[in-house]
Amino acid sequence: MRAPGMISALLYLQYHSFRNRLISRVARLKQPKYLVGAIAGGIYFYFYFFRYLFRRGGVWGQGLSPRYELLVELLGALVLFVIVLLAWLIPHERAALTFTEAEVAFLFPAPISRRALIHFKLMRSQVRIFFTILFLTLLTRRSGGNAWTHAIGWWLIFSTLSLHFLGSSFARTMLLDRGISNRMRRLMVFLFVLALAGFVTVWAKRTLPKLNASDLSDLNSIADYAQRVLNSGPALYLLYPFRLVARPYLAGDAGAFLNALGPALLILLLHYAWVVRSNVAFEEASVEASQKLAAKLAAARAGNWQGVKTLRKGKRPLFKLAVTGPPATALFWKNLISAGQAFTFRIWVTIVILAVAIYAGLGTNSHSRDLFSGLAILIGILLGWSLLIGPQIVRQDLRQDLPLADVLKMYPMRGWQVVLGEVLAPVAILAGAQWLLVLFGAAFLLHARGMSEGPLPLAIAFSAILLLPMLDLLLLLIPNAAVLLFPAWIQAGREGPRGIEATGQRLILVLGQLLVFAVTLLPAAAVSAAVFFVIKLALGAAIAVALPPAAVAAAVILAVEAGLGVMLLGRLFERFDLSAELNP
Amino acid sequence: MGRITMIHVEGLTKLFGDFVAVNDLSFSVRAGEVLGLVGPNGAGKTTTLRCLAGIIPPTRGTVHICGSDLARDPIAAKRQLAFFNDEPRLFDYLTVEQHLAFTARIYQVEHYRPLADQLLLEFELTEKRNALPGELSRGMKQKLVIACGLLHSPTVIYFDEPLTGLDPLGIRRMKDSILNRARAGAAMIISSHLLHLVQEICTHILILKNGRKVIGGTLEEITRKFSELHGDASLEEIFFRATSESGAPAPPPPPVSIEDQEPL
Repeated sequence: MRAPGMISALLYLQYHSFRNRLISRVARLKQPKYLVGAIAGGIYFYFYFFRYLFRRGGVWGQGLSPRYELLVELLGALVLFVIVLLAWLIPHERAALTFTEAEVAFLFPAPISRRALIHFKLMRSQVRIFFTILFLTLLTRRSGGNAWTHAIGWWLIFSTLSLHFLGSSFARTMLLDRGISNRMRRLMVFLFVLALAGFVTVWAKRTLPKLNASDLSDLNSIADYAQRVLNSGPALYLLYPFRLVARPYLAGDAGAFLNALGPALLILLLHYAWVVRSNVAFEEASVEASQKLAAKLAAARAGNWQGVKTLRKGKRPLFKLAVTGPPATALFWKNLISAGQAFTFRIWVTIVILAVAIYAGLGTNSHSRDLFSGLAILIGILLGWSLLIGPQIVRQDLRQDLPLADVLKMYPMRGWQVVLGEVLAPVAILAGAQWLLVLFGAAFLLHARGMSEGPLPLAIAFSAILLLPMLDLLLLLIPNAAVLLFPAWIQAGREGPRGIEATGQRLILVLGQLLVFAVTLLPAAAVSAAVFFVIKLALGAAIAVALPPAAVAAAVILAVEAGLGVMLLGRLFERFDLSAELNP
Repeated sequence: MGRITMIHVEGLTKLFGDFVAVNDLSFSVRAGEVLGLVGPNGAGKTTTLRCLAGIIPPTRGTVHICGSDLARDPIAAKRQLAFFNDEPRLFDYLTVEQHLAFTARIYQVEHYRPLADQLLLEFELTEKRNALPGELSRGMKQKLVIACGLLHSPTVIYFDEPLTGLDPLGIRRMKDSILNRARAGAAMIISSHLLHLVQEICTHILILKNGRKVIGGTLEEITRKFSELHGDASLEEIFFRATSESGAPAPPPPPVSIEDQEPL
């Protein structure tokens, strides 16, 4: 196929893929769930990003303080240098342009030159870069500056880096083809870096004034010293090309921007020439990469984040599954295996040993009381966070298994058994971690307050140990109920709903979950408060005495609520119409 | 044994919004019978099987499995069932052996080990017992799904395109396995586009079109009926006549000429 015809075909593919995706996004706004999500997401994005676009101010807004301009440029260049260095040091695969399986199927057998495929890949990467820039420009616009120069600056940085990654992967493949192994290449790069670092250090020691305490006395002094090191000697030359790339983004006015634009564009063009002139066979590795990508996308599309990670070998189950007994245990057993490394005895035992060792080590220190108080407070904060964030992280439940809901529905199990089996694993994992924290928190508190005040830390620990699993269960039932009630809202994965409307949906869900949780806590809070005050005020007992019965009362109420929740979710699961919800 | 009704479907209807996927379907399958469910794409075969397996609820109608109402007593009905999808559905993080252990617990199969070993041997998975699904070929995954499904010795079995992804030896074994289980008294429904497979192993045929039953009965009955009307009729001929408006075959493709091709 002639080159112009081929390029127009690739442009056609690119344009229509983008257009069709956009049309389907707009079309789905007809569904209330996406419309409501879009409105919520729009409000969020407006207040977080867009309103800064319309605020009054100079054309260039607030720039950097002149004192830090050069330092920021130098540090930016240093970051780019490290990124480029890592691109030469870490990857080990042959050059593989990542195509989708459909692209491999259509483009690789077609009469399209290798260079044209590279151009296609570059066009594709430009679309990705465009959206990244849009986001970053909106984000950085919040702190001032000119939106256009920021956008162009980001584009230059990302495009140059993208081309460099591609070029370095081609170079890596060429080295491998010539018998230079990854180990040898890494050694060479490492020796190069070592030599450079040594050179800069020796030079800095000889020419710069010796680093003394005054150079590190405050932030300004540190900044001045870093600037002196990075802006003279070998570092000056080494970082210079990277500074050229970063300079347009950091330009303070139109003149500076135009001055910086030329050199940065030149570097970009040199990279482009390097990439398109490389004649490296990438097809075989690309086919393999596309298959891996397809498998990961399929797993992610199905909400299975375990599948996104490449599983290399099976995990040993935490316990042996007996053949008889409640079938829900089988789901619990399965989901613990799915949790993999997060829930092996070895890891938990290691954590315990480490914590005991730290505790014992600190215990000999006479100034350790304040430290232990601080650690106990830290553990309290961690426990709070574990309740808030834990159920979002530990997802070995219906959220993971929803794509296999047809398989689950075939099992001879009641709906409540399926739901109970599904949520038990995340409850066990979270409760296990929290119990450890509680035990250490109590130990730290005892140490800090002295053994004479022992009953109160112990009463708190007992109450927490009793209540936390119930709270976890309730917290986990809420997103699992959301999965069954609004499966399209919960769909996880890269190919799930994206964009402003998806962000809005997530915001609504999180707020909804918090509201439902607060409501479910009310009866338990009321009953436990009543028990607590009756024992404390009427009987005149100490807090340490009143707390455990109040916790028991709260735990009973929470357990009843959780039981009802499991039964309700079980009914929902039994009525869950896969055909209507997942395969409309 | 051969006369017991294992699957009884009465007035099965499934609507997706206004779209009628399955329309008032009634039939029975007795022990030892193999029913071939055929029809063009979108005829409602998979939806019918999914309703019969209890995966999706029918909009109307009843399904009885070995006398148990699938809606009212799903546990008893599902204990007798196995459904093999055309796409193997496995848990990515469970090994072959763990899949079998998991299934044994779900179906409460006591002393499952000898049977599991036998199934692993039969499906040539013994050496893969510690492998994850990601390490298996599509055909092996399909075999694992079948091994798991057969572990509880189901008496009612549904297959949706059972030969997809299997190698010739696997196809032969699958056919033998289906026939052996039918001989042992299992009732089966096989949905397939492979009419030669249906003709080879099915005792009964049900042809669907737009969710409706077009023809149903034993293979002999249907063939005889069509032969009386249209002369000698193969299942393929019957299928085309029953499902297409005109019954006419597709037009031939345009001729390909090497000379017309532009050199690359």
